[in-house]
Amino acid sequence: MANTKKYWSGLDELDGTDAFQEIQSKEFQEQIPVDKFLADEKLNSTTTGRRDFLKFMGFSLTAATLAACETPVIKSIPYTNKPPEITPGVANYYASSYYDGMDYANILVKTREGRPIFVKGNAATGIGAGKVNARVIGSVMELYDKARLEGPTKNGESTSWSDLDTAVSESINGNGRAVVLSNTIVSPSTRKAIESLGAEHIQYDAISYRALREAQAASFGVHAVPHYDFSKAKVVVSIAADFLNSWLTSTQFAPDYAALRNPNSGSQSKHFQFESVMSMTGTNADVRTMISPSEEGKVAAGILAVLKGGGVSNLDAKLSSRVRNAANALSGSKGKSLLIAGTNDLSTQTIVAAINQLLGNYGVTIDLERPSQAYRGDESAATKLIADMNSGKVSTLIIYGCNPSYDMPNAQAFNSGLAKVSTSVSMNGVADETASRSTFVAPDHHYLESWNDLSLRAGRIDLVQPTIEPLFNTRAAQESFLVWSSAENSDWYTFLRSQYNDAYTVDALYSDSDWNSAIHDGNMAGNDLSESPNYASPIETSLAERKVSEVKGGKMELVTYVKATAGAGQHAANPFLQETPDPVSKVTWDNYVTMSKSDMVALGLNTYIAQEDLATVVKVTVGDKQIELPAFMQPGQKPGTIGIALGYGRGSKGEKIGQAAYQSGEKGQHLLLDSGLPMPIGVNAFPLTSNSEGNTIYASYDVNVEATDREYPLACTQIHNTYMGRDSVVRETSFDSYLAEADKPKGKASWNMAHSLNVHDDTNHDGVIDARDKENTSEFDLWHSHPVKDVGHRWGMTIDLSTCTGCSACVTACSIENNVSVVGKDEVLRHRDMHWIRIDRYYASDYSLEKGEEEGVGVISSYGLMEDPAENPQTVHMPMMCQHCNHAPCETVCPVAATTHSNEGLNQMTYNRCIGTRYCANNCPYKVRRFNWFNYKGHSKFENVNPAHDSLARLVLNPDVTVRARGVMEKCSMCVQRIQSGKLEAKKAGTAINDGEIVTACAEACPSNAIAFGDLNDTGSQVRAISENNRSYHALEEIGVQPNVFYMTKVRNVDSNEA
Amino acid sequence: MKKVFHVMYDDDEKLLVAARELVSKGIHVNEVYSPFPIHGIDPVIGIKRTRLAITSFMYAMSGLSLAVFFMWYTMISDWPMNIGGKPSFSLLENLPAFIPVSFEFSVFCAAHGMVITYLLRNGTLPGMPATNPDPRTTDDKFVMEITTDTNSMNAQDLESEIKKTDVFELSIKDVKES
Amino acid sequence: MQKESAIREPLILGHKTYKDITDDVVRPIVGPASLGWKIMITISSIVALYGIGSILYLISTGIGVWGLNKTVGWAWDITNFVWWVGIGHAGTLISAVLLLFRQKWRMAINRSAEAMTIFAVIMAAVFPGIHMGRIWLAYYVFPLPNQFGSLWVNFNSPLLWDVFAISTYFSVSLVFWYVGLIPDFATIRDRVTKPFAKKMYGIMSFGWSGRAKHWNRFEELSLVLAGIATPLVFSVHSIVSMDFATSVIPGWHTTIFPPYFVSGAVFSGFAMVQTLLLVMRKAYKLEDYIHVKHVEYMNIVIIVTGSIVGVAYLTELFISWYSGVEYESYAFINRFSGPYKAAYWTMMTCNVISPQLFWFKKIRRSLVATFILSIVVNIGMWFERYVIIVTSLHRDYLPSSWGEFIPTATDVGIFIGTLGIFLTLFLAFTRFFPVLALNELKTILKSSGESYKNEQVK
Repeated sequence: MANTKKYWSGLDELDGTDAFQEIQSKEFQEQIPVDKFLADEKLNSTTTGRRDFLKFMGFSLTAATLAACETPVIKSIPYTNKPPEITPGVANYYASSYYDGMDYANILVKTREGRPIFVKGNAATGIGAGKVNARVIGSVMELYDKARLEGPTKNGESTSWSDLDTAVSESINGNGRAVVLSNTIVSPSTRKAIESLGAEHIQYDAISYRALREAQAASFGVHAVPHYDFSKAKVVVSIAADFLNSWLTSTQFAPDYAALRNPNSGSQSKHFQFESVMSMTGTNADVRTMISPSEEGKVAAGILAVLKGGGVSNLDAKLSSRVRNAANALSGSKGKSLLIAGTNDLSTQTIVAAINQLLGNYGVTIDLERPSQAYRGDESAATKLIADMNSGKVSTLIIYGCNPSYDMPNAQAFNSGLAKVSTSVSMNGVADETASRSTFVAPDHHYLESWNDLSLRAGRIDLVQPTIEPLFNTRAAQESFLVWSSAENSDWYTFLRSQYNDAYTVDALYSDSDWNSAIHDGNMAGNDLSESPNYASPIETSLAERKVSEVKGGKMELVTYVKATAGAGQHAANPFLQETPDPVSKVTWDNYVTMSKSDMVALGLNTYIAQEDLATVVKVTVGDKQIELPAFMQPGQKPGTIGIALGYGRGSKGEKIGQAAYQSGEKGQHLLLDSGLPMPIGVNAFPLTSNSEGNTIYASYDVNVEATDREYPLACTQIHNTYMGRDSVVRETSFDSYLAEADKPKGKASWNMAHSLNVHDDTNHDGVIDARDKENTSEFDLWHSHPVKDVGHRWGMTIDLSTCTGCSACVTACSIENNVSVVGKDEVLRHRDMHWIRIDRYYASDYSLEKGEEEGVGVISSYGLMEDPAENPQTVHMPMMCQHCNHAPCETVCPVAATTHSNEGLNQMTYNRCIGTRYCANNCPYKVRRFNWFNYKGHSKFENVNPAHDSLARLVLNPDVTVRARGVMEKCSMCVQRIQSGKLEAKKAGTAINDGEIVTACAEACPSNAIAFGDLNDTGSQVRAISENNRSYHALEEIGVQPNVFYMTKVRNVDSNEA
Repeated sequence: MKKVFHVMYDDDEKLLVAARELVSKGIHVNEVYSPFPIHGIDPVIGIKRTRLAITSFMYAMSGLSLAVFFMWYTMISDWPMNIGGKPSFSLLENLPAFIPVSFEFSVFCAAHGMVITYLLRNGTLPGMPATNPDPRTTDDKFVMEITTDTNSMNAQDLESEIKKTDVFELSIKDVKES
Repeated sequence: MQKESAIREPLILGHKTYKDITDDVVRPIVGPASLGWKIMITISSIVALYGIGSILYLISTGIGVWGLNKTVGWAWDITNFVWWVGIGHAGTLISAVLLLFRQKWRMAINRSAEAMTIFAVIMAAVFPGIHMGRIWLAYYVFPLPNQFGSLWVNFNSPLLWDVFAISTYFSVSLVFWYVGLIPDFATIRDRVTKPFAKKMYGIMSFGWSGRAKHWNRFEELSLVLAGIATPLVFSVHSIVSMDFATSVIPGWHTTIFPPYFVSGAVFSGFAMVQTLLLVMRKAYKLEDYIHVKHVEYMNIVIIVTGSIVGVAYLTELFISWYSGVEYESYAFINRFSGPYKAAYWTMMTCNVISPQLFWFKKIRRSLVATFILSIVVNIGMWFERYVIIVTSLHRDYLPSSWGEFIPTATDVGIFIGTLGIFLTLFLAFTRFFPVLALNELKTILKSSGESYKNEQVK
């Protein structure tokens, strides 16, 4: 009942009187005095007084000011939901592979927070311990190139993929002739994808080895470039083949070659080199002979003749004897030797094949059963294509993985033909020479963004996997092919995947574990279809011999070569590679004409190049073609020959191929040509190459060189070439004298005598002449110094001068690992390169103080003469970085204790304590300290070269390493960030640090394992063992700074009288 | 009520002679104002040798010990570091490197300490009022100050005695005893 | 009142009274500025401003605006530093050492020489400052605990010794100079009529009134200060030389440096004093106080120190050969036969050969010759430092890093600029400060004044 109860607010409600009703209807029961409030006079009469006005002014002024001052914006994107595999601060490594038509490598890609920042060799599962070279290491930079196209374009205007696809597939399916032009494709699946287009496929290589292939085909019936096994070659004779740097897939040869160069085993391979330009390989040769390109064939023929028991013909006496020595050495180790030739001349290659057959190298050091899949390009087909294009026979041209408008000998003709092709598609990532001339650009992913499978040799498939989401609206070239071929399933990954599992469907990503482990390892076994060459078939060489004997050399001959840095032009826009000095000339940011001193003097050219001593520009005329380049004095250059590096002069029409690809001036602005276009770096030498018998010939036998009155600065990181007989810097000996004393204890062998204090006086002033006075300088202390031996870690490094080839992979690796500033040509010219590790390249001089005494020449003038390298000098490469001295001169002199010694033997820099007095750098005997002369990451002078300037390129920086501020000193830290993380790992695992777990970037990158890093206090470590080896020594031991870096005496396989 | 005689001479030697005479007569000379130091006046009017040199030595010693202690504290005790392998285990081992700074700092303290003491004892500090009786005393005149209150003689005798000397100018002031 | 032999040449010529001395010295201060002075100070201050501009450019852009590089980390900066410090030494030497030896002739020149010292040391102090990559952190060189409490400076570093040496040297010579100025300011205070000037000099004279007791302390103070300034002046340049001597660089690592640098410093210092005084005595008609005799005395000091320097050069060469160290011997062979041999031979001619001309009394007493030679000597001394620093660095141990040094406009601009600042300061000094030590000169008037000597002869 209760819920029926009713309560009244009052009787009125009960009665429901009118008054009550009225009140109910109103909102407010009483009148609210609004008017009274509004009627308040003060309100209307209020004014803003002076003080108030000033207050408001003051406030707004302050507000405006505050708004005006810009607070630094730090872009940081939080992981709202963190991907499982990514832990901020912890690097992930992905196995992948690198192939750009020239270099081939199995790599590990280091990613931090999802972005690739470092590329290194895949030591675990790579071919040849997965060694890489400078170009491969540097390639990570190109991922972050601002010049990359952000999507498909049509006639330079951006377009949509769909429009592009319809247009292109129409054109392909039209009745015109469609052609795919590419570099050599070593990917089976890509090949399939291209085939699916049903278009004709033509491959060509910027650097062609067609003649080599043809020779194999003619002789043994296998139409392929053979695989060379240097690990078995006790004698290597190379005729102008730069096999450590650019010849074939050189990354695979260096480790094998180096392994046999280490004399500790008691044997050392012997290396003869016949060449015109001083190549990186040539600098490592035991016996290097200078020949003109026109003599290459004759040398081969000569060797063959000697092997057949004949004599050397049409070569001068000195050369013939050298040829005879080489031939005898070869016949001395039949089946364990190699003769290779770099030339693309069929006759020579035929003779070479015959010689190797004669030596029984086929099947041992040369393998045609599983030949290399690389370099299948056929320039004769390409030449025909150009003709067809010009005669309008080609309606669709798809260009993939190559840049013919730049690197074809007859690029002019190609370009005119390209204009006649109705639908031309380039798949290059940047609007380079070819892409900018094509109707469409269907930009391909960077290799770090794409899937692919590569097969260099039968039986093995290397996998390429993406390590980052595509940065731009690009598309895998293979996917484009599939789309245009209107395949029902055009997804490239699905297609690739289904090559290895037909049952694979797109929604079953990573379905089977074999595939996953294959991706993890970066490779898997492929079906092993080996060829069946007939090694025994007789080779008819008489024709070839006649042909080579007929070759006539002019008074000046030209050789083009490929540099270790810029490659065939694909790395032109890569600042890290452009600034890495050429291993031989040490010149950065340029190509030039290498000439012998005698020729330069004859032409009256400047031979000394430095900051204000500019190089003379010479005009090189080859047939109807002319180019102008500065001349550079190159010891070891055959007089009567010149050399020019290919791969320069990219973007000569101002194509947008990247900021760093153009020359920057003193203020950092791009220098301009008279035409108003940005000035490219160097000059393109491809037009100087020619085509004969269907092969591109990279030399020419009759050129004309004349001096001009122009001068041009060349930025060289080393302006002094000889080591002035300072044998405590560089120690070298001949193999026989090494063997003679190989078992002597350290410091006792004649070729590696330790510096000891004078015995006859009491050097530690204790009044008694005892053992301490006889101590080696390296052991001796004036004072009771801080203990270094057997207390905790003592990080150290060993460098074997016998196996260091000078390839400079370490330099590039170090620069990328440690965010070393790229400073550009003008600064390098001022001797301000920032590299933490450099490779000192010393040429031997004919002269010495002893010789001076004999000849009665005064000391002063002997020193003068010792500054000139020999005409064909022996060469030493000496990697030089901070020696982490235990008695570091730099530490003592720092007024603020910004550089001190860690208790692990590291000489450490405290950047934020450094005030930049540069006293340490002055007092460093090794001159390895580098000073931040400018604010490299902010100063406008460096905006075109330094990656830290641009928000995209900045992504390549290593977050573990500080980007140094202006005015501080920096130097090699022995990759302390790696040491620390290594220690952390060990700590987490609760184990001791095993030798080899911590590796510096340079040691890791070294293709020839010349550099080793580890704990000198760990008795089991490799560095400890090497440091105790009798070849090891300290550079400048006698000044007693007691470095933690050991060098190993260089041993050349020559007779002591030759050395 | 005392009288102050400011006896002015135009040559330092005249003043010296006069001073000797007056002092021999048992007159006490309060003060001498001169443009440059008059050699030999001090014993005559009874000024004792200053002890500034001793203070400077004390300052030097304290500076030295301070410097050595500080360097020992920073380099060896508080935060020893391995700098170029040089010994930082004991003060003695590291001492050679400390000598220059120790020396410089002692000199620093000696010089500045002494100068500050000198200025304070003189009461010559920035902005102090000049107290020489006549501006010419900083130029080429020499003034002797004699007062009645420090002398047994009465004013007249004093005046007559002073007049006997080779006076250049004599000014007599009456000053309230304070 | 000690007398001196009448045969000895008087130090104050003409018949001077105490008043004349005061008048002669105070005249330029109370009188209006001469036109020549106005022109000179305008020029020098323009040059000074240019220098300051270059310094600002350097600090705002980076050390890269200099010509330095990875091999040559010091060049003009430290050369100028050492040069200026060296010049500074003359003043202290004159006022301290000569005081100890009771050399009366110092009294005419010590005031301006000390002033020169102070300005030179200021100029010197500029360079260690601006040569730092991060000058805004310069306070790191003082032993202040850093933000983490316990990171101190490195007392093993010669550069830190420099910090103490230079600051001590500067401050001590400053007070030494000022203490001597106080009585003379008093003199001026009592002479000037303009109320403002009177007030200023009143403040600067610290209420000095020449009481006997004060004079007594004053003389004691000067003596003791001289006593401690003498080892100081020797220690300072020794320590500067240790920047090089304690290093490992061939050509720097030389035990001969301390005495060699000190004598070089005195050498260049006296040369600079000559250059300035020869102009000043004319401009301010002080021929009676600073006359040929003074010039001759200073020239004698120049011969002595110059010869010591010469011997040092030769000793260096000998030792480099005698040591048998190939780096050492090459360093010196490279000095006189390498890319920088021009600098070396300039140094040799200017410092070793030119001062020997002073053996001839005629040249020694010729004002013109002295003026020219004094400038030649300072050019030579600048090149000495340049040779030591640059030629030792540009080719040291590893031939691979052998380099070169090419100065930039900023290098030159800053050096010229410091000359401008120095001159401006010195001109200001001659205008507002008593350029002769009044009170000291008056004490020697009777012993060494010409007229008084003549009386004795009678």
